[in-house]
Amino acid sequence: MSSTVETEHHAPAPAEPVRDGIWRRPLKNTGLVGFLTTVDHKKIGIGYALGALFFLLLGGIEALIIRAQLMYPEQELISARTYNQLFTMHGTTMIFLAVMPLSAAFFNYIMPLQIGARDVAFPRMNALGLWCFLLGGVILNLSWFFPGGAPAIGWFAYAPLTDRQYSPEMGTDFWIMGLQILGIASLVGAFNFITTIVNMRAPGLSMMRLPLFTWMTLITSFLIILAFPAITIALVELMFDRHFGTYFFNVEGGGKPILWQHLFWIFGHPEVYILILPAMGIISEILPVFSRKPLFGYPLIVFSGAVIGFLGFAVWSHHMFTTGLGVVATTAFAFLTMLIAIPTGVKIFNWIGTMWGGRIRFTTPMLFSVGFIWMFMMGGFTGIMHSSPPVDAQQQDTYFVVAHFHYVLIGGSIFALFAGMYYWFPKVSGRLMDDFVGKIVFYLMFIGFNLAFFPMHILGMTGMPRRTHTYKSEMGWDQSNFWSTVGAFILGIGILIFVIQMVYAFYKGGKAPKDPWDSRTLEWDTDSPPKEYNFAYTPVIHARDQVWEDKYGVEAKRMEKIAPGKHGIHMPDQSWWPLITSIGIFIACLGMVFHKQPVPLTAEAVFGLEIVIAGLVATFIGMAAWALEGPGGFHLHPDPAEYAGATPAPEDEHGHH
Amino acid sequence: MRLRNRTPFLAAAAMAAVGLLLLLAGCSLNIEGQQSALDPKGPVAKNQYDIFMLTLYVTTFIFITVGGSLAWVLWKFRQRKGDDPDFIPPQSHGHPLLEMGLVIASAGLLVIIAIPTFGGIILKKIVPDEFLGDAVEVNVTGFQWWWAFEYPEQGFYTANELVFPAGRAIKLNLRADDVIHSFWLPKLAGKVDLIPGQENFLWIKADEPGYFWGQCAEFCGDSHAYMLFRAIALPEDEWKEWLETQQRETVEDDGSFEPLLAREEWGYPEDKILKGAEVFRQACAGCHSVNPRMQTNGPNLAHFGSRSSVAAGWYENEYDLLYKWIREPERVKPGNFMYRGFLDRDGRTVIMPGLKDYDLSDEEVHAVTAYLYTLR
Repeated sequence: MSSTVETEHHAPAPAEPVRDGIWRRPLKNTGLVGFLTTVDHKKIGIGYALGALFFLLLGGIEALIIRAQLMYPEQELISARTYNQLFTMHGTTMIFLAVMPLSAAFFNYIMPLQIGARDVAFPRMNALGLWCFLLGGVILNLSWFFPGGAPAIGWFAYAPLTDRQYSPEMGTDFWIMGLQILGIASLVGAFNFITTIVNMRAPGLSMMRLPLFTWMTLITSFLIILAFPAITIALVELMFDRHFGTYFFNVEGGGKPILWQHLFWIFGHPEVYILILPAMGIISEILPVFSRKPLFGYPLIVFSGAVIGFLGFAVWSHHMFTTGLGVVATTAFAFLTMLIAIPTGVKIFNWIGTMWGGRIRFTTPMLFSVGFIWMFMMGGFTGIMHSSPPVDAQQQDTYFVVAHFHYVLIGGSIFALFAGMYYWFPKVSGRLMDDFVGKIVFYLMFIGFNLAFFPMHILGMTGMPRRTHTYKSEMGWDQSNFWSTVGAFILGIGILIFVIQMVYAFYKGGKAPKDPWDSRTLEWDTDSPPKEYNFAYTPVIHARDQVWEDKYGVEAKRMEKIAPGKHGIHMPDQSWWPLITSIGIFIACLGMVFHKQPVPLTAEAVFGLEIVIAGLVATFIGMAAWALEGPGGFHLHPDPAEYAGATPAPEDEHGHH
Repeated sequence: MRLRNRTPFLAAAAMAAVGLLLLLAGCSLNIEGQQSALDPKGPVAKNQYDIFMLTLYVTTFIFITVGGSLAWVLWKFRQRKGDDPDFIPPQSHGHPLLEMGLVIASAGLLVIIAIPTFGGIILKKIVPDEFLGDAVEVNVTGFQWWWAFEYPEQGFYTANELVFPAGRAIKLNLRADDVIHSFWLPKLAGKVDLIPGQENFLWIKADEPGYFWGQCAEFCGDSHAYMLFRAIALPEDEWKEWLETQQRETVEDDGSFEPLLAREEWGYPEDKILKGAEVFRQACAGCHSVNPRMQTNGPNLAHFGSRSSVAAGWYENEYDLLYKWIREPERVKPGNFMYRGFLDRDGRTVIMPGLKDYDLSDEEVHAVTAYLYTLR
């Protein structure tokens, strides 16, 4: 199947139409224009990564201000309202603007390389995803600069606190529209990745030979597609309640506040797996490399990833055990939640099995991976605890839960993403990062993290609720809070050193070879950094860990290479329209925020729906022009030395573009 | 090479540091803290505590076995100095029997937790028959940022302090009138949310008389952190006495708000109290009822002088703190309605003025503070 698709790339292109004027595709692939019009999955991946790292630092600063405020009882470093804004923005930023896009950065950059593809299936749509992500982050954070400031509703935004009556300021509107744009970014990315993985695998790369990270990309993308419609609907309903006087969530008009919670968590719980499955994929790549062994129980790991994704849609109400669901629903959701512990446990067993009998090298990526297993295990245990509603009744909305999800999201996701950044940095930049500095970063982060979050278990069990900007000294929470703050700053220093190290390595690091870690998967068979076309040849896959087999395996499992045909390698053209479309959406969303609201310099509401309509017109123009500019494309001819030893391309007669 | 030698030292130092941190954390464990769920004083909280401890034992067992094997693997199979760097370990791909065995074992451990979980879910929802006979009913309503307690059988209201008899079940009907709140009294029971348009249920029982702290556990706006309450479990005779006093009228019925308490018990100069009553009538009575049988927008203050805390459990009920609360409410509880007044659904139109519109003088605040202590 996939082989025909792949070879079609070498089919002779029909005579390329000459396009001028507005249909002229930008050709310059360097500088600002090159970046703004790029469709290269690698540049887009780097764009995602830089954006995500920026927001990671921003969300981190917000977290440190929160911790500084809680360092001592009854402090007045910041006001209650500022505190509430900070935890709202911290949560929203870290989930939607840091962890998700950082995962998306890896999907974009690494996944096509792992399957031997030259780009994703829809390169322009990929660019649209990047711009929507960045502009969504901009909208969300613009709220700080408008009257009333950032939203103070929590990342979960429970109705009816979000009603105009209780949150009259525009912050909530910025939040709604920011999340809507980010939803578009996630959805276009997800459709793209699924199409790419299903259709564009190298010949011979069957599904059960896919690298685990690519598998998790696929499962995560399905989760995004199935989960985001729920939040999209919830956000639209909330927007209508706030702007057009509907009563979806307001009791006075017959609405139901609990409806929001169902919609939100039908999205929100799969979202948790959207954040953790890519991390599990990264860990499943790194552990085999540094143990010099294949992944233990590959089919079971793949299968349990899918089961986690599937069950993820059946447990949303465990976030609502205290809302009075009734005995039957509570019991059902409790038992389903406990079930999820099984596939999760399977992964941990199999990771240990992978290292068992191996030869473990403690490089920086490996340290982060092993740290991940420890921290994620801790987070899993506390997860088992509050899968039991009677226990959850005491833990829900306390610092115990804060400890739990930071163990899975920092100790889990962030540690894995850091492992991934250390692991793939040489591939992406062509430079090496110093291992000793990397280890210092790891130990600082590991110690800081545990000092910051372990005491929170104790705080929660001794009665400290979440989302409280201060506490009374009588409660006995002073010491734990103090040490937690110290730990948070140590964690922050670790991350800061990482950023400095990465920037330094990018300019001054040693040159990275193709395969610096003695790795196992296809991305290590091409240059560091890969050329624009990724692979000069078409790889023909004969084994799961193809690059390992090429180095150490038997002859029968070695990779074959097919040289490009006489027309060279077909590459997609750059385009302005994804950027223009996303700017149209951005304007429409801003217009919705300003709808009937007093904007700066005026006390009166000045805008109706004019800006929204203008934005939508720009969006549709962008989309229409996108469709009309045609597929474009050009051909590259790599140096034959790059595909030395490859069999010549089968002649191109059967190509049918 | 230089780097590789330093790594074990770094690792050992890190482990030592983590150990020290855990020790530190242990020292700060305040089991008997005011809101500690680890110090249950009633059957619901006790049941929840027991299941928590069970999950703690089960997960500790998993931690020791799985974590132990992880630590062993990391130690045993690490690359040592002098090892052949080109050594290739056997490329084993898995062991289906072992994998399935672990799946079944994990399922077994979960069953251990699942069974008592089911019992706990039912216990929190349904008062056992043995306690039903002499149960007391209280309607709890959450507001931004205080609690109204109604005793429907006796027909009176109070606020921010839940008083009840020890040794008897208390049936709590939980409601909210603005946003979602959550009723949490850790030593007696885990939380249940108060949701507008819906009535939830929780029951509690204190085994012994006692004084408990509770707090709103669902984010409910600006001053969420200041939404506390106290719960007082009284011996049977004191409970009867309390019920009686709560139903007494506290002020003259003629709209003058003059205290009914005998003048020699007022404790402050007569003119100060009468001035306080006048200020109260003008600036406070629109929201605060002093009739125990009537609930208005703000906390019922009918027997305020007999309460132990003010500002929804944030302050002890002392003259200076009460004065501060009325003098600068916006500082004590940002965003509160006593200061801001009530707004319409559009969030802008004022429909009931607040203290910011009255601009009371120091002297007036002193007068009204003194007056409030005559309401006993």
